[in-house]
Amino acid sequence: MALKTIGTYEFPSRSRQELYGEDMLVHVWWKDNPMFCAAATFRAPQAMSWADFRAAIVDPWASSDPDYDASHAFSWGLDGQPFTPEPGTSLADLGIGHKHTLSFWG
Amino acid sequence: MTATPTRPARKLSMKARYSALTRDLDWEPSYVSSEEMFPYTSFEGIKIHDWSKWEDPFRLTVDAYYKYQAEKDKRLYAVLDGFAQSQGHLSLSQASYLNAMKIFLGGVTPLEYQAHRNFAFLSRHFNGPGPRFAALCQSQDEIRHAQTEIHTLSNYNKYYSGMHSFLKQHDRVWYMSVPKSYFDDALSAGPFEFLIAIGFSFEYLLTNLLFVPFMSGASFNGDLPTMTFGFSAQSDESRHMTLGLEAIKFLLEQDEDNVPIVQEWVDKWFWRGYRVAAIVAQMLDYMLPKPVMSWKEAFELYFEKQMLEGLFPDLEYYGIKPPRHVQQAIDEKEALSHFVYWVFYNFSFAANFTTSIPSKEHQAWLAENYPDTFVDYFQKPRWDKAQRIVDNGGRFFFMGLPQLCQVCQIPMTFPEPGDLNTICQRTSDYNGEHFNMCSDGCKWIFDREPEKYVQAWLPVHQIYQGNCGGPTVPDVLAWYGMQEGDGGEIAGSRDEVNWAAWHGTPAAKEA
Repeated sequence: MALKTIGTYEFPSRSRQELYGEDMLVHVWWKDNPMFCAAATFRAPQAMSWADFRAAIVDPWASSDPDYDASHAFSWGLDGQPFTPEPGTSLADLGIGHKHTLSFWG
Repeated sequence: MTATPTRPARKLSMKARYSALTRDLDWEPSYVSSEEMFPYTSFEGIKIHDWSKWEDPFRLTVDAYYKYQAEKDKRLYAVLDGFAQSQGHLSLSQASYLNAMKIFLGGVTPLEYQAHRNFAFLSRHFNGPGPRFAALCQSQDEIRHAQTEIHTLSNYNKYYSGMHSFLKQHDRVWYMSVPKSYFDDALSAGPFEFLIAIGFSFEYLLTNLLFVPFMSGASFNGDLPTMTFGFSAQSDESRHMTLGLEAIKFLLEQDEDNVPIVQEWVDKWFWRGYRVAAIVAQMLDYMLPKPVMSWKEAFELYFEKQMLEGLFPDLEYYGIKPPRHVQQAIDEKEALSHFVYWVFYNFSFAANFTTSIPSKEHQAWLAENYPDTFVDYFQKPRWDKAQRIVDNGGRFFFMGLPQLCQVCQIPMTFPEPGDLNTICQRTSDYNGEHFNMCSDGCKWIFDREPEKYVQAWLPVHQIYQGNCGGPTVPDVLAWYGMQEGDGGEIAGSRDEVNWAAWHGTPAAKEA
């Protein structure tokens, strides 16, 4: 259904990717840990490797829970589909897009 | 020349006075068209054939209106003075009770002011004098509520944290964006949608759920000023409820083509209002040292019984069905407050209120009121672990920023229908961009008007764009105007320490 307006109504998204330069927003959802009330949102370079993303961004956040073990082998998903991380590959090359959601469990 | 003395006019009846002082002030435009004079009442597709059919059951006139309001103000301000002079701030149930009022002041009071603005707009822009006058009175009520709420709570600001910058924080703080964006959505809609959004859905459908819990909480917890404010506003609110109902019936009776438009607005604004009410749910179940009733009980009484069983059977006559997604709200009543207070427990380091693990007695109350959910889904997996972390000298906080729903802006915490162990995640792609929503209700709202919601000012995204003071938590808190003692954990907080000192309890001597 089209928006009913009194005139032309065209406004850009207030969170479009270009507002983040070479970076993007990525959601990370620890699916089977209810301590985290929601998935987290991070700003990360699209060219960042998976290994760096894990070490610099995901691990410090997940360590909010003192039981977090970074060496544990988690299963991963991307937007509900199975996902296989590769440490040396960039987030963009792994197919992770702006505001998409990674999840892990196990 | 001397004027011929005339006999004083006979006093008019109330009905005649109302007619003379409201309806008679209308005129037909002569040198502009009515479309030019009232440019906003056609684009939404609502058809009005006879504006004079708008009934005002109160038949208020301006002079009577101001006289009543002045009397109510006098009574309220006498109570406020007495409370301040008798050191009333010391007689609350607990300092932590005021967390509920900190949320009310920053989250709700500015909405009263926004309601004032938009009803003032409607009092100019409706074609009919009846609805124009009703909107004028409501506009005046709303600014009076904003002012009296601020005055009512200002005494506490002298003694307690978290209330000093409520207006700035309404525009900036992450959770305040929930009520703010809700109202902005209504303000940026057309006049009839606003009337259904605020006049009907907010002021009629959900009003008892939104306001009664705060006022009953005040009454149970020694907050005489807020309770008195509640009474002072109550007669206005009952007038607003009547007008909200009149508004929807007027639109439905004017033209059958209005029915599907109004139905979609009811569907949208029920869900929008229900999501805002999640903040009330956690307040009712977790923030009151002396609880009044559970959210579940309030929802069953004020919504299921009064609205679904009382109102909607009446509206069925016009072809209006209960709101889309209402079943989801009913299913969530066992769990809503627990999810939302857990969000606040995760993030109160960045708020103007404090949170803590509920006491053993409080957890027993929660288990009793939520026998099917609290213990298995919330106490064991969340609170027991939070307690273990505290016992080891820590305090669990979410060390990051949460994923927000593009529509309601609440962190995406709500459960998948029928599965309390899984967070509900919904997405939509629009113009090549990916958007995230917390529920089928919010996704339906987004998909209906994506052009509107892509503009959402999501606090988390704004922080990451560098628009909120800087990249670190202290930068953002400074930009929020937070001061030492505003947020965090209740135990050891500034308010708790002061409270103990004022009451000479042992905790104060240790502190």
